Amino acid sequence: MGFVGNLGDIFKILKHTFRQVFRRPFTYFYPFEDREYPETTRGRHIHIRETCNACAACVRACPVAAIRIDKEDKKFEKDCALYFDYTRCLFCGDCVRACRYDALFHTPIVDISEGDREDLIYGPDKITTLDRDPLEWRGRRFR
Amino acid sequence: MSPDILDESSVIWFGPQHVSAHGWAAKLTIVGDYIVECDPNAGYFHRSAEKCLEFRNFRQGSMILERICMMEAFLAEYPYIAAVEKIVDLEIPERAKIMRTIMMEFNRIHSLQFWWGQFAGELGLFVMLLWPWVDREYSLDAFEELTGSRHTVSYATPGGVKYDFTPKFLAKMEKALTRVKDRMPVFEDMLSGSPTFRLRTEGVAHYTAKQALKWGLSGPNIKACGIPMDLRKDDPDPNLAYDMIDWEVPVINNEEHPGESDAFDRLLQRFKEIETSLDIIDKLLPLLPEGPIIDPKARSKANRLPEGEGYGRVEGTRGITTVWLKTMEKAQTPWRAKIRGPCFASYYALKHIVPGARFADFPAIFGSLDPYPGWWDR
Ligand code: SF4
Ligand code: SF4
Repeated sequence: MGFVGNLGDIFKILKHTFRQVFRRPFTYFYPFEDREYPETTRGRHIHIRETCNACAACVRACPVAAIRIDKEDKKFEKDCALYFDYTRCLFCGDCVRACRYDALFHTPIVDISEGDREDLIYGPDKITTLDRDPLEWRGRRFR
Repeated sequence: MSPDILDESSVIWFGPQHVSAHGWAAKLTIVGDYIVECDPNAGYFHRSAEKCLEFRNFRQGSMILERICMMEAFLAEYPYIAAVEKIVDLEIPERAKIMRTIMMEFNRIHSLQFWWGQFAGELGLFVMLLWPWVDREYSLDAFEELTGSRHTVSYATPGGVKYDFTPKFLAKMEKALTRVKDRMPVFEDMLSGSPTFRLRTEGVAHYTAKQALKWGLSGPNIKACGIPMDLRKDDPDPNLAYDMIDWEVPVINNEEHPGESDAFDRLLQRFKEIETSLDIIDKLLPLLPEGPIIDPKARSKANRLPEGEGYGRVEGTRGITTVWLKTMEKAQTPWRAKIRGPCFASYYALKHIVPGARFADFPAIFGSLDPYPGWWDR
């Protein structure tokens, strides 16, 4: 009884062990893979200059003064250049709610950490597009 | 305490760099294994939130309050909104009232799940630290689906709420709440059914209802003594939906020591709080009417406020949370804001509760009162 009973227990444990070994891990292999973010995620912004009206409502709505506006810098008829300072931004979503011309949106991109503080100030070249420089480290591409 | 015992005493600082003391420090005088004096210190977490509020307008202020206590972000931001709504006349749509209440109870459940894990972790039960936090992820996913942010939801605004419930959110909330309901018996068995856990909590951090009233405790800490003191019932906010339904204030009254509570009673009390929150959400969801979610004139009305005083309060997870605002004529920002957090009282109650306890029980005493440093260092 003793030996057979022990054998049964051992098989039980082995079953669990094998199940765990061949299971998909619960964690994500970040940064090579990431979980799915909902569309509503308040990540970094994107500024659509075509529809922007330079009304500065987003600047006034921001609780931490993270947005700077440059009305002189015009690419289209009425637009303006926006500078987002992600060292200050709280991702509260008030600027997006304040914009009445559908020119400012959040994107589900949340991995915006940088090595240099200056890189976190997104000027008009960075805030109007989702393209980013690829980040490579030891021959592996992270994004 | 004779003075020659104190000759052999030593002083130990618990915190500010101790892992379970995130932003607070208590100076403990110890003789042998017993604590004879406890001197809680505040000030390690100060971020001048009250001053910051004076520079934000009435739609922006709630963002500051959320960051005082991330675990109960919506419950923390709501008193500010309530204070603004006292000063200016806004018509909150029925749908927004119910949505606020549902979100509030959902946030309370999330905060209590966090507390289970933290409390068990402080007592050394590491499995119990991780399991409720896995369930908490489901609640966070639901918050993210609705508002876009996992912790700092920024959900309410003067006049209503910002985001409407979507079918996707309702499905995720259903999933999270079902998970809580399914796992409640497991956790109850793991905590209150475990002899080790009972030994470490029963009879520890004992106080009477009279003392609790004297120290100004509120929330679960006083309800565990058998006093049904709950703002949701005693003074229902007209802009919330607690008075639309029938529900019972969760109260624990231990038959072995009526009118008193120990750490174990407070644990049971917090289990009961979750059950009540689940019950309230279940009863409110079918009442959800169709309609707008915000007063259409809210934007212009909340821009400049008339002269006045507003006092908003809410029953938070940890106790009564209030914000007082004073405005001048045509004010864009408050002239003065005052935050009264629930935890200052429970933190300084340590001074009276801890002496006489053993050193190893200190995390149990502290954890059972559930103070959060953001609430006393505003
Ligand atoms: S998300 Fe909030 S903090 Fe960030 S830029 Fe917009 S308004 Fe400012
Ligand atoms: S992004 Fe929107 S709110 Fe900001 S300036 Fe342009 S139109 Fe105005």
